Amino acid sequence: MHGLDKLEYKPISVRDLLVEMKDLSELMIDLAYSAALFNSRPLAEEVIEMERRVDNLAYQLDMSAMLAAKSPRDAESLVAVSVVASAADKISDAAGDIAGIVIREIGIHPIVREAFEKVEEHLTRVEIQKGSVWANKTLHELELAPKMGVDVIAIRRDKEFIINPEKDELVLEGDIVIARGAPLGIEEFERLAGRTMPAGRS
Amino acid sequence: MVIKDTFKDIVDMLAELKDTSELMVDLAYSSILLNNKELAQEVATLEEHVDDLHTKFELLVLTRCISPQESKDYLGLIRLGVVTEKIADAAMQIAGVVLRGLQPHPVLKLAIKEAEETVVHAHVSKKSPLVGKTLREAQVHEETGMWVLCIKRADKWIRPKPDTVIEAGDQFIASGYAEGADDLKRLTNAEKRMK
Repeated sequence: MHGLDKLEYKPISVRDLLVEMKDLSELMIDLAYSAALFNSRPLAEEVIEMERRVDNLAYQLDMSAMLAAKSPRDAESLVAVSVVASAADKISDAAGDIAGIVIREIGIHPIVREAFEKVEEHLTRVEIQKGSVWANKTLHELELAPKMGVDVIAIRRDKEFIINPEKDELVLEGDIVIARGAPLGIEEFERLAGRTMPAGRS
Repeated sequence: MVIKDTFKDIVDMLAELKDTSELMVDLAYSSILLNNKELAQEVATLEEHVDDLHTKFELLVLTRCISPQESKDYLGLIRLGVVTEKIADAAMQIAGVVLRGLQPHPVLKLAIKEAEETVVHAHVSKKSPLVGKTLREAQVHEETGMWVLCIKRADKWIRPKPDTVIEAGDQFIASGYAEGADDLKRLTNAEKRMK
C-alpha cells in the first residue's frame, strides 16, 4: 500500500525505543476504537501513520538489542526485550486493522456502538463551543485526570490532530476533544464540556 | 424474540472481548514487572477464554441472516473480533516471557515502569476508606485514574467485578498514569510500599 521507509541503524537506547513502542501501541488502540466509533477517517489515517512509526521502531530496537548482546547470557536476557517489543508491534498492527475498517469504509455495525456502551473504558468526543469556560485553558488547568479520571487522547484543531497532547496544551474554541475514562467520569466530562458530537461525520 | 437476543449476545460478547483483551495486556506487563508466574498464568487462562469466546462470537454473527446491504457492517464486526483476538495473542506473547522463565534484561522493567501507563501494587490497610465497599461504590478509577486489574486476597487472585467487596489485606494490582499511583496508595492507605 505505502512505500516502506528506508532503515538504518541509529544509536537510540533499547529502553527509549521500548517505552515509545509501549506508549504508542496502547494509545493507538484507543485512538483506533475512537476512529471506528466516531467514523473518523482522518483519525484512522493518523493511526496508520503511527503504525508505520512503530514498525520502524521495532526494527531499530532489534538492531540495538543485537549490538548489545556480547554473550549467551546477554542474548537470553535481550530476547525477552525483543519478544515484548514485537508484542507491542502486534498490538499496534491490531490498531492499524481497526483503522483499516474505517479507511476501507467497511462499516461499523450499530452493535459496535452498543457494545461500547458496555465496556469498562468509555470514549467520547466533544466540541469546545464559542464562549465555553474551557476555552483558553490548559489541560492541566482543567484537571480532567485528577477530578474525573478522564484523559484527553487527541485534539482536532482545524484539519490537524494533536495526538496525546501535553498538559500545557491550550484548549481552544472550535477544538474537538477526544477523551477516554470510566463511564461516570466521561459522563461528567460530557456534561461540563457542554456539547457532545453526534456519531458520524468528523 | 430470538433475533433481538442474538443481537444482545453479540453486543455482550464484543464488549467482553474488548475488555478482556486490554486487561490481558496490562496483566501481562504486570507479570513481567513483578516477575510473577501466577499473573502470567492468568493471562494464559484468559487467552484460552478469548479464543473460545471469539469462536462463539464469529459463529453467532454468521448465523444472523445478513442481507447484502448489511454484509459490510457485519464484516466490520467480524474484523473487530479478530482484532481483540490479536491483542490477546500479543498479551500472551508478553506473558510467555515470564512463563518460560527467561530472566529479562533490566531495561525491560525500567521501560515498563517509565511508560506513561504504569502498573502498581497497592495494599489495602484496615484503615482504608475502601474496606467494606464494593468496587462500584469505591469509584477507584474516578478518584485516582487507576484501573484495578486484579486483586490478590490471601493466596487467591480475584478478577475485579463491580460488586466485588474490598477487604482489608487485599492487594490491588492497578494500572494507569504514574500520577494516579500516589493517589491510589493514599486511598488504600498503604502502610508500606511494595518494591
